[in-house]
Amino acid sequence: MDFIFPFFTTGMFDNSVNLFLAILLGIGFGIIFVKSGFSTSAHIAPVFYFKNVMVAQVMVSAIITTATLIFLGVLFGYIDYSKIYIPATYIWPYFVGGLLFGIGMVMSGWCPGTAISGVATGKIDALIFLLGVMAGMYFYFDIYEYVKDFANSGNLGRYTIAKALGFEEDNLQVSYVVTFIASFGLLAFMLIMNKIVKNKGDE
Amino acid sequence: MNKNYWNPYVAGVILGVMLFITFLIAGQGLGASGAVARATAQVAYQVDPEIAKNAYAGKYLASGNALINWTVFEVVGIFLGALFIALLSGKFKLELTRSKNYPAIKRVLFAFLGGFLIAIATRFARGCTSGQALDGASAFSAGSWIFMLAAFGAGFLVAFLFKKQWKGVE
Repeated sequence: MDFIFPFFTTGMFDNSVNLFLAILLGIGFGIIFVKSGFSTSAHIAPVFYFKNVMVAQVMVSAIITTATLIFLGVLFGYIDYSKIYIPATYIWPYFVGGLLFGIGMVMSGWCPGTAISGVATGKIDALIFLLGVMAGMYFYFDIYEYVKDFANSGNLGRYTIAKALGFEEDNLQVSYVVTFIASFGLLAFMLIMNKIVKNKGDE
Repeated sequence: MNKNYWNPYVAGVILGVMLFITFLIAGQGLGASGAVARATAQVAYQVDPEIAKNAYAGKYLASGNALINWTVFEVVGIFLGALFIALLSGKFKLELTRSKNYPAIKRVLFAFLGGFLIAIATRFARGCTSGQALDGASAFSAGSWIFMLAAFGAGFLVAFLFKKQWKGVE
């Protein structure tokens, strides 16, 4: 029998099996988060000052690893790329969301996923952060009527890198090469800035 | 390099392989903000069921319980996994991370306010560093790069405002 991944979205698993596996996979991620240094704001905030770019190094190498595996999986016919979930791109909401996110991140030293692992390792600031996230979510429910036009503007649907560059949506060669170059560019920028900041010393 | 942590490149490859396995099984990767949004909707529902009529929270509650969801189960797993390794390695420690002598009340305020902003940000961006940046970029979504670059850019631009909070913390 031929296996075409992903299992759940191609109908191999039912929902309860998938939910059970979600917990197991989550446990794996939780362990990886702590061992990657994601479970403290002392590693997240310094990225914005280029003082310690460890979490950025982890993040970029993870993107390159997964992108490579997905690329190869599709190339050899084991993965149905159209069944891999990609959130629709909403240009302006993504841009504004990104700006707010960055400000919130350097202010708090957390993002939602890392804060879950932070609470589990005893970080009080992670718990307060998550209470702030819940308050913000509730606020968003309240204001949704007023912001929904903006939030749903600029919808480009499943918008891959290849498509953005004028190629076929599922041209993975183009998407992969660009992802590879952009990721390494980002990593190189982080490492160079880190070196400059370290040489300058702490004022 | 701190011996409590893996080499960042090795950690990245492990995280990437884990993410790939998750994509293979579930067709989606890591998520976090969606689970917190759902938890908020469910808590609000327990307090006052009227929230089910809300145009945004209502869609989480349509199936009866906002918490019966893949990302919510995964986040429960993240918590358990992190707790397990913290207890196992004796790393569980209550602390409010901040610069030495930085007022605790200001740190608490910024942690809360940052979370508040991030919640709204994730609703506009349909995800956070996990579901949007990591998953999306790995699966070749152009929008993920818009989000990531805007987030890092804005973070760098306003970083000077919070410098005192993080001085010596690294």
